Amino acid sequence: MTPTATANTTLPYRRAGFASVPEMLDYAARGQTGVNFFDPRGRLTATMTWGELRERAHVFARRLIGAGFARGERLLITADTWPGFMVSFFGAQYAGLLPVPVSLPAGLGGKDAYLDQLRRQLAASGAVAALATDELAGYLTTAAEGSAARLVGAMSTFEALPEKPVDLRPWGAGERCYLQFSSGSTRFPLGVDIRQDALMANIAGQIGDHGLAIGPRDHVTSWLPLYHDMGLIGFMLAPMAAQRSIDYLSARDFARRPMQWLSLISQRRSSITYSPSFGYDLTTRRAQTQSLDGLDLSCVRIAGIGGDMIQPSVLARFAARFGPAGFDTGAFMPSYGMAEVCLALSFGRRGDGFHVDTVDRQQLSEDRVARAVAPSESSRAFVLCGLPLPEHPVEIRDEAGAVLPERRVGRIFAKGPSIMAGYFEAPEASAEALKDGWLDTGDLGYWLDGQLVVTGRAKDLIIVNGRNIWPQDIEWSVEELPQLRRGDVCAFSIDAEDGAESIVVVVNAWPAQEEARTALIGAAQQIVKETVGVDCVVQLLSPSIGLPMTSSGKLSRSRARTRYLAGEYANGGRRPVPAAT
Amino acid sequence: MRASHKFKVYEFADEAMSDAPSVSRDEVRADICRRLDPFRTDARPITGATVITKDLNIDSLAVMDMVMELEDTYDISIPLNVVAEIHTVDELTDTVLKIRGER
Repeated sequence: MTPTATANTTLPYRRAGFASVPEMLDYAARGQTGVNFFDPRGRLTATMTWGELRERAHVFARRLIGAGFARGERLLITADTWPGFMVSFFGAQYAGLLPVPVSLPAGLGGKDAYLDQLRRQLAASGAVAALATDELAGYLTTAAEGSAARLVGAMSTFEALPEKPVDLRPWGAGERCYLQFSSGSTRFPLGVDIRQDALMANIAGQIGDHGLAIGPRDHVTSWLPLYHDMGLIGFMLAPMAAQRSIDYLSARDFARRPMQWLSLISQRRSSITYSPSFGYDLTTRRAQTQSLDGLDLSCVRIAGIGGDMIQPSVLARFAARFGPAGFDTGAFMPSYGMAEVCLALSFGRRGDGFHVDTVDRQQLSEDRVARAVAPSESSRAFVLCGLPLPEHPVEIRDEAGAVLPERRVGRIFAKGPSIMAGYFEAPEASAEALKDGWLDTGDLGYWLDGQLVVTGRAKDLIIVNGRNIWPQDIEWSVEELPQLRRGDVCAFSIDAEDGAESIVVVVNAWPAQEEARTALIGAAQQIVKETVGVDCVVQLLSPSIGLPMTSSGKLSRSRARTRYLAGEYANGGRRPVPAAT
Repeated sequence: MRASHKFKVYEFADEAMSDAPSVSRDEVRADICRRLDPFRTDARPITGATVITKDLNIDSLAVMDMVMELEDTYDISIPLNVVAEIHTVDELTDTVLKIRGER
């Protein structure tokens, strides 16, 4: 097996400017470039030129159309990094169906939580067909019982459909493209209704001169999961829009062998790659015990960072560790975006590395002012996230909606051609996010020298190891313990070392016996682990203290966090009886 | 374009176990217990009945690291759906032996 070429021989290089995904693939299919799949030991396991992918996608599309699936219906796909995902995703594009990529099970003992997640995603998308990898086909079949899906199974199930001589009905300009689950609670999943026009506009921004400035000699390497917009749009669709070859390592394989990511880049002389901070961190940690002999990263032109809060110390450690292997710290390219804008909203300057702004922590959280200070224990360092894409006005506003000047922290709003039309069949959520053509990103940030600095999420979203965790998901699952009631649980994140986040769950209960308290803490931690796959600190709180509420009777996570950090919840908030004064 | 691709393989713990003709159930279980020992929560020893994600102080990332090390040691690959159904040390032991037997 031979991997696809880095450059096309005769096909003229063309960077974006296509009307739709099918048009993009039609063009790339005329060259020799394509996609290559590597296993965790660096062996090539599958390869397709864009032309071969197009042929297989056409066959898949004729099977779907021939089976009677109507234009606009949804096809759910488990988005592991496998050729079948791409064949079915692009097959749906040519058949006028909407692909709905979904994630994979989280780990040891995660079966039940995964089945629940699949059921909710099937319901939210109203999928009429659902395709899984061979290993997950059984789960998907179980989850789809009683759903609207008429055809469910592995690729062999779909290949058993007859290929009828029907006309393709590809999505075109102005039409829909796919549903991107990403935002919001996993209990009530919201799919971003990705449209062709908005997608094409954002891809042009990503790979154009403001962004990666992809050229005809660039080679792309990615381990990013294809159920995430950064993997799917950034590292499947965008490189295709410039006829690039892509080398893939699956996210699962990356997590096991992060050094294989760099090894692939080095061996294949790749120039562009991307990762959230936690990926750079994982790789640096794993490299402590490894020899870097033979590793040459001087080929890397862009090492993008996105998908989580960027941690400057992580980037500095990565650069220090891999500098001797030829890694240029100037290749770091911070960026900021979300599925609601079809991925990217801002990029750092190319070749400029990352820049840090150190501000006073207390003024930041209390006065919402980012005052520059010398680094100290009471300061907080942020990485500048770059300049907004052309034609995408960005505003930072205070709570009253007034536009804020430099160094004042407020909510980030954006508009422009790549803003989503809305969430799929969720008018209320769409109206909440989109107002007068502006997208409320839900993030907080400030301006510095024309660059966006993102400081956190207004919506209390928790991000751990690059995963977004909605606090409600934790609270609701813990509340299902028999001894608890609705409203008894409050989840939030606190800054751990290096700006990473750790989760604190405050439980409004204080059983009399110490054994019972220990058991309750253990049970709550176990539920959190099963539900969202992460560890947490559980703090019991005497019901006599109670969780803080807002004036409208809603749980106030920010106040609970403040009190927790102030030590008010130690020993359940039960203070020693004060001496009479 | 390169004609052949010989990737330097990092991270591959090339332990002798992968070439061993066979391993017993007791050996595999003892190996898993040894790997999990740092995550014990109290003085009780880890046994076949220990529920890995419940009885131990181990997070999901560390669990997957351990599974990866087992895969390397025994030269196997445990499918995602199988991993998702494993709870106890004995279940993990039997999975390793079963998949190793199918190689």
